[in-house]
Amino acid sequence: MTRRKEIAMLEVTTDWYLSLAAILFTIGFLGMMIRKNALIMFMCIELMLNAVNLTFISASKHFGQIEGQVFVFFVLVVAAAEVVVGLAIIVSIFRKQSSASVDVLNVARG
Amino acid sequence: MFEAFLFFAPASLIILGALIVIFAKNPVHNAMGLVMTLVSLAIIYITLNATFVAMVQMLVYAGAVMTLFLFVIMMIGVDKKEQTTDSIKGQTFLVSGVFLILISLLVYVAVSSDFKWDLWFPPVEYDVEGTPQLIAGTLFTAWIFPFEIISILLIVATAAAIALAYDTKKRNSNA
Amino acid sequence: MWQEVSLDFIFLLSIFLPFLTAIFLFLNKKLFNELMTNFFTLNAALLSFAIAAYSFVVLALNKFNGVNIELFQWISNPDISIGFTLDGLSGIMLILVTGLSFVIQLFSTSYMEKDENYSNYFIYFNFFVFSMLLLVMSSNFLVMFFGWELVGLSSYLLISFWSKKPAAAKAGNKAFVINRVGDFGFLIGLMIILDNFNTFDFYKILNNSNEVSENTITLISLFLLLGAFGKSAQFPLFSWLPDAMEGPTPASALIHAATMVTAGVFMLVRISPLLQHSNLASLLITVFGLITALLAAFSAINQYDIKKVLAYSTISQLGFMFIAIGAGAYVAAIFHLVTHAFFKALLFLGAGAVIHSMHHEQDIRKMGGLRKQMPITASMMGVGTLAISGIPPLAGFWSKDEILASVFANGGIYYIFWALTLGAAFLTAFYMGRHWLLIFEKDNGFEHSDINEAPKAMTRPLLLLGIFSIFIGFINTPFFHGLEKVLHVNLENVEVTHLPEGITLVVLAVLSIGAGFTGLIIAFLFFGIELHKRIDLQKFKLEYPINLIKDLSFNVLYLNKFGNLFFVSGMKNLTRKVAVVVDGMLIDGSVNFVSTAFNKTSKITSTTQTGMVRNYVVYFGLFLLLLIVLFIATPMVQS
Repeated sequence: MTRRKEIAMLEVTTDWYLSLAAILFTIGFLGMMIRKNALIMFMCIELMLNAVNLTFISASKHFGQIEGQVFVFFVLVVAAAEVVVGLAIIVSIFRKQSSASVDVLNVARG
Repeated sequence: MFEAFLFFAPASLIILGALIVIFAKNPVHNAMGLVMTLVSLAIIYITLNATFVAMVQMLVYAGAVMTLFLFVIMMIGVDKKEQTTDSIKGQTFLVSGVFLILISLLVYVAVSSDFKWDLWFPPVEYDVEGTPQLIAGTLFTAWIFPFEIISILLIVATAAAIALAYDTKKRNSNA
Repeated sequence: MWQEVSLDFIFLLSIFLPFLTAIFLFLNKKLFNELMTNFFTLNAALLSFAIAAYSFVVLALNKFNGVNIELFQWISNPDISIGFTLDGLSGIMLILVTGLSFVIQLFSTSYMEKDENYSNYFIYFNFFVFSMLLLVMSSNFLVMFFGWELVGLSSYLLISFWSKKPAAAKAGNKAFVINRVGDFGFLIGLMIILDNFNTFDFYKILNNSNEVSENTITLISLFLLLGAFGKSAQFPLFSWLPDAMEGPTPASALIHAATMVTAGVFMLVRISPLLQHSNLASLLITVFGLITALLAAFSAINQYDIKKVLAYSTISQLGFMFIAIGAGAYVAAIFHLVTHAFFKALLFLGAGAVIHSMHHEQDIRKMGGLRKQMPITASMMGVGTLAISGIPPLAGFWSKDEILASVFANGGIYYIFWALTLGAAFLTAFYMGRHWLLIFEKDNGFEHSDINEAPKAMTRPLLLLGIFSIFIGFINTPFFHGLEKVLHVNLENVEVTHLPEGITLVVLAVLSIGAGFTGLIIAFLFFGIELHKRIDLQKFKLEYPINLIKDLSFNVLYLNKFGNLFFVSGMKNLTRKVAVVVDGMLIDGSVNFVSTAFNKTSKITSTTQTGMVRNYVVYFGLFLLLLIVLFIATPMVQS
């Protein structure tokens, strides 16, 4: 009896995956706020994007539609393009000043 | 039982990797943590029947994007140890505030729904396999327009990268 | 048949001819020299008068039944249209205005010669004649109001004709502003009329005057009266007229003697069927007319400017006309209007001739003994003086006597009014006698050998007007009621005060003649043979009162100074306060406050743009939280 209960309790439903995605997103966001190295901030952005991907896939399973996975494709492509451009910018900024910190980029001040 | 194990193992690896990303001091460690997260995510995708997406993720993300990251890390310099706690005025306050609010919100939501998510729509009974045929069938018929735009985006990104990188090279070569 | 056809519109030609002349002269201002201007304007004036006379004759043959021409209807409900009418009342004014216009323009050609703005003068003059004709020939209040305003404008243009003189410009402003105060009352009266009668047409209003309550009629009459006061220079809106003497003398002769100032009298007689229902208004008219007549006559007895005496005299005589209207003697008022026009124009033109010959000297204390050098002028001005004093058989006697008799006939409080009016008549004779004697008779010892008679273009109008002043009185004597016949259609439904009969009339006539003669004799005593220098006045203790009278008279009882101080300075202070407080502090302050508020808030909000990427990340997180909270808090609809 108790064993069946355990199995029932431990059934991994969609909400588990969604909570995992939320936790991943939060960690990524916190990392963005904490770190000041531009590269690391980029990696945190990647974390957040992956959390979103996980959400899409689990939703695709939940509703039984394939569109979720199709959309993951798009997110993947956009993330890749963004990484390319962002890293190019970081490289060119690094050539100007020898530090990779984003705190020195405060010219657009109000 | 087996499903639970299949969920918890990659999940803990994911979280571990994420924590490594945000807390490590060496940039290469960050990159490795990210790789760990990405691979574990691919495993989870497989358990969710999204096999094709998992493979693509491994190839693109863990393969290409991370390599790019590592290249840039090498270029910029690995031996720099930078302080993570060099905070701006009021940053700590804001960050801790946001963190606290977020945590309390999550706790509130979790408790008020008795740790059960009310997903409003019941899950479907059948499984949809994420086969390449199925994905291609949708991608190239119903979603052809975003597909084309995505390709344009890629080209633009490539051109942008070249443009950004080219000037400095030219300057460097002249100087 | 040809009678009907030509009468219909030909009098319109008489109205618009001066307007066309004005425009024509304006367009050719640079091309014409004085001779050409004279040619056109005199011929136009003569033609105007001829048409007017012809129309009047035809009207007379038609037994003075009026002709109404509506040019076009502007609004149908309420009924407002543009139209003109030719009946007895407007016919008299038509020939008066056009005739005097011709005579005075003839005089002006000589008076204004070699003036640098010669053509401008005639343009303004013709424009004035046109406006006056608009006023008198109108068939409804709207056209009359147009004419009313335009004569005010023309008067301003002519008063400040020599605009380089600051006194002239100020006088023009003063005339216009005081007129405006009157026009304000007139306009309110018009609005009340429109509200009650739903039309502006005279015939419709006057025929339906029984349908409106007496209180409304009193209200209408009081407001229209305010307009009449402004235009006809009655107390308290009279101080513009003496100042208006800064304008050229012939213009003063036409405007401020014969035509514009009589517009108020004309308007009141025009609405006499309405006015007769309101006893309060009639009483007020008489009282104010009496106050004006006495005040002006008193001020005239010690004025030194040759034209100012005549100006106060005009105000006084207009007071007489108002007294007549208030007493219900509408025919007498119009009669006095006509006779006064002639002898006042004569006096003004004579003064103009004197001024011209004396090389623009206007102080009568510096004149004297001009009789020998200017015989024609002297004799014609003597005729005018006798006429205004009411000496029979000259014109002034008949009209003034009729007024006095009508006032007496009303009885009750009007006996007192009659006595006071008689006193005013006595004063009139006195100051006019003084005026003539000081100019022409008394030898002050000044050197006048180089003064010659005025040129023929000036003396001929004087002679013409003099003849008229002698004989015009015969149009309405107790033996031949000519004017009454002319106006009988207009006054069909009006209760006109009739003259007393028999012995009363004779006694009244004798008394008024006596007043006139007494005035002249006393003037002769003081200024002719200079009695006061031969008798020691200290014996009679008369020196102080006489000096006081002299002082008060010259300063017009200090009313002008009081008015200036109270109204003008008071208004200036008030407007300055309003400008500073309301405009400066409130309005400008609030507008500036809005802009400063924007500036400050934008400075505060711009401190969030630190330029630090991590700060922006935090903002991103905060708004994300906000969205999450909103998402949780709002109830979702389950589809």
